[in-house]
Amino acid sequence: MVYFQFVKPGKGTAFTRTKLKNMITGAVIERTFRTGETVGVADVEEFTMQFQYDDGDMYFFMNMETYETVGISTAVLDGVEKFLIDGLEVQVLLYKERPVAVELPNFIEAEITYCEPGVKGNTAQGATKPATVAGGAIVQVPLFVDQGEVIKIDTRTKSYVSRVRK
Amino acid sequence: MGENGYLEIEVPILVQSAGLEEHLHPIKASSGYLHTSPEFALKRVLAMGLPKIYSIVPCFRDEELGCHHGQEFTMLEWYRAGVGYREIMVEVADLLYRLCSVVGVDTEPVEKLTWADAYKKHTNSLAPLDEIEAMRVWVNDIEPKLQAPTIITDYPSEQAAFSVVRGDIAERFELYWRGVELANAFTELLDPVELRARWEKSGESRRLAGREPHPIDERVIDAVAKHPRAGGIALGVDRLVMLLLGASSIHEVRLPG
Repeated sequence: MVYFQFVKPGKGTAFTRTKLKNMITGAVIERTFRTGETVGVADVEEFTMQFQYDDGDMYFFMNMETYETVGISTAVLDGVEKFLIDGLEVQVLLYKERPVAVELPNFIEAEITYCEPGVKGNTAQGATKPATVAGGAIVQVPLFVDQGEVIKIDTRTKSYVSRVRK
Repeated sequence: MGENGYLEIEVPILVQSAGLEEHLHPIKASSGYLHTSPEFALKRVLAMGLPKIYSIVPCFRDEELGCHHGQEFTMLEWYRAGVGYREIMVEVADLLYRLCSVVGVDTEPVEKLTWADAYKKHTNSLAPLDEIEAMRVWVNDIEPKLQAPTIITDYPSEQAAFSVVRGDIAERFELYWRGVELANAFTELLDPVELRARWEKSGESRRLAGREPHPIDERVIDAVAKHPRAGGIALGVDRLVMLLLGASSIHEVRLPG
């Protein structure tokens, strides 16, 4: 379920308007459930897995419970791969033993591999520049942040939180 | 409200019976309930002979939570003796346009549609016969299209609640704006026998659904027998403020409790 809204017509029963995403095809459909309607629970399992390496197409993780190596394609990673750093632990959802979704921790720390040079003393509110971090994601950072620095990123909004002093 | 001759009434919030409708779920207190609207108290005051009254007051409804619902919300409700729901339409539209002009919001003129025509216009077909299906279509395909201030009239009699019914049509209207239901109004029912029958019927449906029936409040039945012909309306203040300020949730315009 990627969206839901409680709705209740004036004198009627309550409904919940939802958008449901097919975890395999990515297709999103809309469905409105009446309060009290029930649906079956999908046979899914969640595992903590550690990122090991990639070969460009596939990204390989170690299941921290079974120590098996699992390969996940960029189609399933859906952009998550741009935040992957060696050793990062993520949550992987398996449906019938097949990976269908990968969730990053809410906050990660990543080194800036490229950005324009910092402007000393420029702390203007709201002024930002793009910065590429290890993994390849591009996030907007304040002008005073420099290449080589490590920053904290909120992966839910893909936004800069702070600098990390090492 | 004062400028228009309305007198503010302070109503009790802790009450013996919190509603009439099957799908309203009150919050229970150790003795009685928190009211779901000031309707019962205001009707009792109307029966005492005050002709133009209103209340702006927090109300409570269980099991309602979303961007347009909260367990606690603020209702503006008013009653006027000697008129029906048509006069109330004029008053609520006047209130909406006055508030828009105060805040500096532009909006379209009021559209009027019957409940049945809303289905024809927005779904190109008749309302489904099954009541639940009709409501599902309403919330999915009609509500979001009621962007201009829209008054929906001529509800089917099964959705009459406290309104007068003529033939199979309830003398009731709702005001929508930006796809949000803002207010509900009635030509108020004056028949105590009919009121008792509706109350008992809703109680039976609630029992069948495994819920506690709303107790019948005899003082409200008496009030309905005594008060003059009247129009009344309840308006969700949080939703109105939300729309006037361009917020997307009522929780952005209320202090959380």
